Amino acid sequence: MRGIQLSLNQTQKLRLQRALEQLESLSSKANSNASVTIADTIPVNYEDGVLKGHGTSELDGEVVATMCGVVERVNKLVYVRALRARYKPEIGDIIVGRVIEVAPKRWRLEINFSQDAVLMLSSMNLPDGIQRRRTAVDELNMRSIFEENDVICAEVRGFQHDGSLHLQARSQKYGKLERGQLLTVPPYLVKRRKQHFHNLEQYGIDLILGCNGFIWVGEHIEAKDPMVEDQVNKSEQQNTKSSKNFTRLEEQEQTYTPPETRQNICRTANAVRVLSTLGFNITVEVITETVELSSSLNLDIHEMLGSEFCVLVAEREAERRRLLTKKKG
Amino acid sequence: MVGLSVGEKHFIQGGIAQDLRSDGRKRLTYRPIYVETGVIPQANGSARVRMGATDVIASVKAELGKPIPLQPDKGKVAIYVDCSPTAAPMFEGRGGEELSTELSNALQRCLLGGKSGAGAGIDLSSLVVIEGKICWDLYIDGLVVSSDGNLLDALGAAIKAALSNTGIPKVHVAVGASGSEQPEVDVSDEEFLQFDTSGVPVIVTLTKVGRHYIVDATSEEESQMSSAVSVSVNRQGRICGLTKRGGAGLDPSIILDMISVAKHVSEQLINKLDSEIAAAEACEDES
Repeated sequence: MRGIQLSLNQTQKLRLQRALEQLESLSSKANSNASVTIADTIPVNYEDGVLKGHGTSELDGEVVATMCGVVERVNKLVYVRALRARYKPEIGDIIVGRVIEVAPKRWRLEINFSQDAVLMLSSMNLPDGIQRRRTAVDELNMRSIFEENDVICAEVRGFQHDGSLHLQARSQKYGKLERGQLLTVPPYLVKRRKQHFHNLEQYGIDLILGCNGFIWVGEHIEAKDPMVEDQVNKSEQQNTKSSKNFTRLEEQEQTYTPPETRQNICRTANAVRVLSTLGFNITVEVITETVELSSSLNLDIHEMLGSEFCVLVAEREAERRRLLTKKKG
Repeated sequence: MVGLSVGEKHFIQGGIAQDLRSDGRKRLTYRPIYVETGVIPQANGSARVRMGATDVIASVKAELGKPIPLQPDKGKVAIYVDCSPTAAPMFEGRGGEELSTELSNALQRCLLGGKSGAGAGIDLSSLVVIEGKICWDLYIDGLVVSSDGNLLDALGAAIKAALSNTGIPKVHVAVGASGSEQPEVDVSDEEFLQFDTSGVPVIVTLTKVGRHYIVDATSEEESQMSSAVSVSVNRQGRICGLTKRGGAGLDPSIILDMISVAKHVSEQLINKLDSEIAAAEACEDES
């Protein structure tokens, strides 16, 4: 496998190679006809008119692939889909992004795509929860909602005419993400599923798998009712302002994440890092299995990033797939 | 480096205060260190060190030169660091120059001591060929390939590994040279002397975030630092150099505490580094 940046000793290298070969043999049976490399001919029935899509081209009357990938057919359309492609947004995708600019009536977010995404002020719930027309005062107070460098979870609403994305964050589950850490993985490892928000109750953490490859692991925060939040916010603000001069450090310490939750957050984050290094698809089931594997072995959290655990995860995944194919076949 | 939100900064500071950082390490735990030696065959010695996502390469080239008249019995060593633009977007063009000079100066201070050569971690008198006339000039170059915090420690480790990989060619001096003439020397291509690196120190950087110090900070943690103290300690536990970075002032008692913590951490680091270097050289011999 290319580019695994770990130093493995001889036995570990052999074990890892064996596990990866097992995985390859299990998966390649299904799609061996469909994968193509550049200049491969695509088998097409020429009597039905065929539409040549992305990644194909006509050469000497034959349809030839212009990139490496898997052939997909939709009715008459034939195209080649690359395996390790850049993030390709679709409407309804859940993504996690970082604010890079506060512009008139909108925020610009960086989402690991070729262009920045735009979140309009009108696509965002106001703090007081009332549905009303955004006024100039709202525009001036945009920074009180989201500032630069804030991490935000939102949904893709559509595409703008120049190809950049329009986002919306109108539901309670979208919005600013705090008290956790953001991880970046290659976008093709996160497949589209029904659920991208996961609340791992046994650990007390929230896991958000953004389709763009940004994964948020953080403390579980209940989605609050905006009406109640108003009063709670006001009293919190008063408290913080008064004691800011004296005990800022102690007060900060009181608001830190509790140690058990923090351990779970770090374990989950390391599990995601290991899966990303190995190039396995990232889903909630695989992540929870990896975390359970590490706790059952009583590994120190930072040892999860070492070579031994990496090899164990690869072997475990090979085992799991083998059992899965056994059940099917 | 991308910015961090207030929530993320709070999380990082909380982790350091609770002795559980973002990747699960304790405050005084290093990331896994990987050493490869002999990566540049044309150089006399070279090494590549990886600590997490930080990746640095160090190379040593030896050339014959004339010693400084004030110190005729010592060779010369020059250390220079270059931050490659592939490491971070801000290093493009001349952006990395400030950081490069800072790192070069810090390394010179930690490894070579003062201008008079006193307190050097590298023994310069072993580099002399003919006193007053010919000595070895060592040019140590460091390249930062990928930057994720703690560059000084990684460069110090890479230089130590590169020096242990260095072979200085044997020099045969022609007999019968008179006082004022330039003596003839014959640089051997076959025989090499291994450089003695038992006295070369390692550099331990302690980054102060809030009330606690951490070792081997990632670039996110470094963005939260108030100040950082880099201490170079050799195998005997003696301090060879000290550098402080960061705008916040430090109480003298804190500096003494940081020095003792650095000394304590350096013992494990030296052992780990020596074993990694030995393993890397064994690997290189095999291949």
